[in-house]
Amino acid sequence: MKTRSAIPLVATLTWCLSVATAEADSSNKLRGVAPSDLQRYIPNEKGHWTCLDSSKTISFSAVNDDYCDCLDGSDEPGTSACGNGLFYCANEGHIPTRIKTSRVNDGVCDPDCCDGSDEYSGLVECPNVCEEVGAVAKQERARLQLIQQEGSKLRKDYIDFGKAAKAKMVLDLAQFHAQTEDLERAVEEAKKILDAATLAQEKYHEGSKGDREASRREQLAPLIQEQASRLARAKNVRNKLRATLQNLKENYNKNYHDTAVKNTITGFDDYITGLGEDHESEASTDEEQVDPTEYSITPDERINNLMDQTYVIQREIGTLYDLLDNMSREYNTENNDEAVQVSVKVVEEFSTTWVTDRQEFGDEAALEVPAELTDESPEAEKLKDDADVAQSAFDEASDRRTQVQDGIRDIENKMKADLGKDEAFAKLFDECFDFKDIEYTYSVCLFGDANQRSHSTTFLGKFSHWEGANYDVQVYSGGTKCWNGPDRSVKLVMTCGTQNEIISVAEPAKCEYVFRFQTPAVCPVLPEHENEASTPVDTEEEAPPKHTRHDEL
Amino acid sequence: MAHAKSRSKKTILRSVLALGLVLGCVNAVKREDFKTCSQSGFCTRNRAYADMAKEDPKWASPFQLNPSSLRLKEGILTGDLFNTQESQQPASSAGLGFELHLLDNDVVRVRVNERDPIHPRYDGVQDTVLIKPYGFATEANIERLQKDDNGILTIQYGPNNRNTVRISSAPFKVEFLVNGVPTVLLNNDGLLRFERLRNKDDGVLGENKLVDQASEEGEGEIETQVEKSPLELKLEENSWEERFKEFTDSKPRGPESFGMDITFSGINHVYGIPEHATSLSLKATRGTGAPYSEPYRLYNLDVFEYEIDNPMALYGSIPFMLGHSKNNTAAVFWMNAAETWIDVEKSATDNNSGLLSWIKGKKPVQAASTKTHWISESGVLDVFVFLGPTQRDIFRQYSSLVGTTVMPQAFSIAYHQCRWNYNTQQDVAEVDAGFDEHDIPYDVLWLDIEHTNGKRYFTWDEAKFPNPADMQQGLANKGRKMVTIIDPHIKMDSGYHVSQQGADLDVYIKNKDGTSNFDGWCWPGSSQWIDFYNPKARDWWASLFKYETYVGSTKSLFTWNDMNEPSVFTGPEITIPKDVIHYGNVEHRNVHNLYGTMFHSATAQGLTERNETNQRPFVLSRAFFAGTQRYGAIWTGDNVASWEHLEIASPMLLTIGLSGVAFSGADVGGFFGNPEPELLTRWYQAGIYYPFFRAHAHLDSKRREPWLFGEPYTSQIREAIRTRYAYLPLWYTLFHEASIDGMPIIRPMFTVFPEDEAVFGMDDQYMVGDALLVKPVVKPGVTQSTVYFAGTEKWFDIKSFSVQQGPGAKEVDSPADRIPVYQRAGTIVPKRERIRRSSKAMENDPFTLVIALDSKGEASGKLYLDDGETFNYQHGDYILREFKVSTGTLSSRSLKPTTEPEASDFMQHKAGLRIERIVVLGLAAPLKQVRVADREIEVGCAQAAQGGHYVCTVKEPRVNIGKDFDLSFV
Repeated sequence: MKTRSAIPLVATLTWCLSVATAEADSSNKLRGVAPSDLQRYIPNEKGHWTCLDSSKTISFSAVNDDYCDCLDGSDEPGTSACGNGLFYCANEGHIPTRIKTSRVNDGVCDPDCCDGSDEYSGLVECPNVCEEVGAVAKQERARLQLIQQEGSKLRKDYIDFGKAAKAKMVLDLAQFHAQTEDLERAVEEAKKILDAATLAQEKYHEGSKGDREASRREQLAPLIQEQASRLARAKNVRNKLRATLQNLKENYNKNYHDTAVKNTITGFDDYITGLGEDHESEASTDEEQVDPTEYSITPDERINNLMDQTYVIQREIGTLYDLLDNMSREYNTENNDEAVQVSVKVVEEFSTTWVTDRQEFGDEAALEVPAELTDESPEAEKLKDDADVAQSAFDEASDRRTQVQDGIRDIENKMKADLGKDEAFAKLFDECFDFKDIEYTYSVCLFGDANQRSHSTTFLGKFSHWEGANYDVQVYSGGTKCWNGPDRSVKLVMTCGTQNEIISVAEPAKCEYVFRFQTPAVCPVLPEHENEASTPVDTEEEAPPKHTRHDEL
Repeated sequence: MAHAKSRSKKTILRSVLALGLVLGCVNAVKREDFKTCSQSGFCTRNRAYADMAKEDPKWASPFQLNPSSLRLKEGILTGDLFNTQESQQPASSAGLGFELHLLDNDVVRVRVNERDPIHPRYDGVQDTVLIKPYGFATEANIERLQKDDNGILTIQYGPNNRNTVRISSAPFKVEFLVNGVPTVLLNNDGLLRFERLRNKDDGVLGENKLVDQASEEGEGEIETQVEKSPLELKLEENSWEERFKEFTDSKPRGPESFGMDITFSGINHVYGIPEHATSLSLKATRGTGAPYSEPYRLYNLDVFEYEIDNPMALYGSIPFMLGHSKNNTAAVFWMNAAETWIDVEKSATDNNSGLLSWIKGKKPVQAASTKTHWISESGVLDVFVFLGPTQRDIFRQYSSLVGTTVMPQAFSIAYHQCRWNYNTQQDVAEVDAGFDEHDIPYDVLWLDIEHTNGKRYFTWDEAKFPNPADMQQGLANKGRKMVTIIDPHIKMDSGYHVSQQGADLDVYIKNKDGTSNFDGWCWPGSSQWIDFYNPKARDWWASLFKYETYVGSTKSLFTWNDMNEPSVFTGPEITIPKDVIHYGNVEHRNVHNLYGTMFHSATAQGLTERNETNQRPFVLSRAFFAGTQRYGAIWTGDNVASWEHLEIASPMLLTIGLSGVAFSGADVGGFFGNPEPELLTRWYQAGIYYPFFRAHAHLDSKRREPWLFGEPYTSQIREAIRTRYAYLPLWYTLFHEASIDGMPIIRPMFTVFPEDEAVFGMDDQYMVGDALLVKPVVKPGVTQSTVYFAGTEKWFDIKSFSVQQGPGAKEVDSPADRIPVYQRAGTIVPKRERIRRSSKAMENDPFTLVIALDSKGEASGKLYLDDGETFNYQHGDYILREFKVSTGTLSSRSLKPTTEPEASDFMQHKAGLRIERIVVLGLAAPLKQVRVADREIEVGCAQAAQGGHYVCTVKEPRVNIGKDFDLSFV
């Protein structure tokens, strides 16, 4: 593109620009009017002419006189006087087009107007580059056409695949359903046998039940006590860390813009979000752990319960500790931010007692729950063997049933997914793609999850819906919440290509990602032998005025 | 981004962990990061002195002039000033020097400095702030120099000798009278206080020694013997080392502050002393019922999400205050760049009989007065007094000292699109294309800190911006420019050329030891700050902007200077410690408020000198001081996307403008947070009437380019921005006016209507020049606004041409698509109505004149035009026209002094651009005939929808913008 520099500008200026344009000679009278519109620019018998929006009737001499008369700008298709009209560029050798008349004689060689006809004032010399532009465009169109043809074939394969897959699923589903009844019956029978065996065993042991339970309770009592106190301690620590982070979040100094601190607070927000609504009620349930139902459950259930709870709390501690620990390694020590320093102090104190990789307290190996003492008489042994055999028969039967049920659910899920009008996306269901940019690797599994990976993985969202009616934009939403921002989300914008690949990833607004994705699945389905039919490449049809494309930014 | 410093450096925590402590709501600004007066030693000491004066009904200033020492020579009056309470101290026998300069532009300068101090007091502010040595009033300008028996010296000066300065010896006092009426009074309340420099070992010296006097005892024993009142103790508070939070100010020179009261007698409204997020008319900080309890503070600071309606210091400081009443206008400029606090106290009626006793017999001046108390930490007392007589005179007088607004690049008054950050070259191209697609004009695209390689200024993140020059060329092809950010903190990195060169040249600010470089933390992590007081540093800095040094820069790249208060994340109050050392062994405390301006100036120098393109610079700065207008634009820093911040922008910009910095704006949309579409739209509608018009957004905020909210917002914002472009000829003409005589561009109502008391406190509407009245809508859901129409003439809605008759407040429509804007009858406004994609693309387009006739059928207006880019206008290469309507003729004449050379061929061409349309408002009947010479011109008329007047449009009069013509209409 030609550009102006200060010196040629002075040299090439037409000093009497205004006069020249005001008295446009007759050959340019209808400058900027498209050939198809010429018949609308004919004066009536009195030499008058009516604006195309009918707003006004003016002298025909006022058409293209570089003064705006009509509201719609139709009297000035060839000058910038109105600005809101359209100027027709013939662009011989390329595609004719229309540009806004505000771009006529503005000193810019408008790329859309490759013949340079938009700049006739002498302000700037715009060479006619339509031949080159046309050739490039032609090449580009040919390339696109090739891609479309290739893509079209692939898409047809996809459609076939999709249809076949669907047919197969229907078939499989029917088969699974047919098996269901037999399997249910088998499970029922196995259950009957198992129940009988268990009953026999229980009967045999009934007399000594009380003794056994008592001795079991006695056996486990110290363990339960120990575990309960471990749980209490873990909660204490968890609460302390939580309070530390809460304090940090409320009191840290934003002026310092310390990334380490910001990241920790983001993580804490994620943690709180993760707790969800339970968080609110948890405090109260925490307090009620001296369980009134203590004797309504078995000591085994009780110890397992306590161990599970402790495990969950310790995981929380691990998360919170990591947040604080990361910050204390990375934060800017010169900032003297009191809230940060308080947190660092806490983590320093705590670090001596915590084993990070095992996520547990330093001096606390997990408790081992001893096995129950058992009756070893031959009769008892036999009953036990019977019960074991019955149990494994039952397990086997119910596994077979579960498999079929899973199969049904799986198929039903897949069939529920909206794979496009013609099932073209069946091929891509759950297929995953990566894109590496400078810092991160982005990935998406179609109809599944999107992620961002570096040293850690950030969840960007789960497939939520198609946007629009064209089946070419997918939205993945509900990703990890962004610090000071929204939940992360991804828009997967698809264009026709011969391969499936992410071609770019952008984050136009914080934590709102746009993946551009090429796939045959959105290529147009062309009629067979398209390439042998009349070539659209060389048609001289006017390019439509550019429409505002949708605003994905 | 941040690397861990060695953990051993960590300070040991004193505070005890308070777990489970749940604080209430978290304030946006962390107020406790910034000092209050009571946390500042010198503010406390001087305020305590004022309290003592107030408590003592017989208080009289202990300062006296020696009448026999007064000498007037060549416009300078000098004399010896003593503090009678310290006269027995041998160390202070030299006393203070008093100077009064009578300037040739009717300005009076009063100075008080210490004679033979143990260290020189810093007196260098004048060297950087005053533009040139000024002339003195000759003896001929001074009349009736009288000295009476009481030691009162009287000098009359000014036009018709209307001004009088009276200097009283005991107690010392300087009064300025206008036509015999006291107007500005210095030390009238006796609050002058001057801490003499001394050694720490000398004990408590200085004029604070009221106690010494009373006890008449030798030194040393006093403190053990005499019990001091709480106020007396405060007089000595934090004289030496001073702590704030975890920071210690070593104050090696001890206390060196001073303070003085300045009374605006008979004047109830005072304005100025930016930058504060407060009302235009300053609120009281002392006295019963004062809305504020803290003084206004001037100390350039980086304040995160600043609070509204609070006298806390912000990014810039201008110690200029204007007082205005119906009868009087006066101003003072307190030339000091150290931390300064100003108390404002209003007295409803002035019953200080002593003050008026000397004009007995004259009718009592029924005056509401404003008392102000100015307190500076160091330097010399140096104050200029301006008596006008009009505001325009005051702006001219003030700007003749500190400089006027420099003519900007024409593009820089158009629309700027900014965001932290446009991420990649692709992103830039898409945003640029977005404007064209949506037919929204813009001129400048901005890149914030993320464009650099690791916050190393003058570099590019090469992965994201592989071809910066091509990118700029792409914009330049459409007449558009780019701005990149360059901050004064330099990343510590020996591999970074700027860092290394700065170290080699030894141009960094030093620690208090004067030898090691100060290092602190900012965006890039550990950084050093360039000492722009070092001439070598300025020249080197300027050289960095050459195209070959700033690789990837082109002619269409300009600069944004941020964080120049300076912002230091690890420093006290987020800035640099006061005891760091500048070139020439100057302590930072003396020059803090000027640091940002020195940086701004060096950057402007760099852009001016780069490769001899003869191009005017464009540099935006966040910090500012008196004189900043010579270097470029400023903006009001990190505001918030809230209606309150939209509302406060008007008074803030009006205040900054009347204090000399005309080229200013607030971030449209609000920097932090996400504006709802209505707020964003309203902000654009207001922002098109800011002298500097830029939209900006924080990294954490959602995208908000003008088209992203869809209809109706996109169309409403488009219409607003296009309106700005249509009025660019008016804006450019107003910049010219500002560059000549210091007039603000957006003007408070009281500047244009100085006699209408109803507007003295008004800051929710304002004038653009003298022609347009603007009333921003600053509340959601509003479709009606109350507009005050001042004066007795009509006002014409600029869109509908409906008419309102002044004076009085009226309810007018303010629908979602526009805010009330009116053209005042009697004005002619030049416009360009062919809106294109950039202002550059419009520079050869014809003009439209909008003539709003007054009740006498008259109107006038001006147009200034030059090439918009170069310095050629300084050599006469410009057009300045006056358009005037009287007795049915519109005439156009040149206002260019005949001594100026003729315009060049290029400007002759500009002069040949035509006026395509003349719109005449306020006609009682349609025009029948319009003629230029013997040519008849087509005209069409219609009755305005409201107000009954006729609007006539003259089509193609075939006259040129820069040539004389007479157009008659009947």
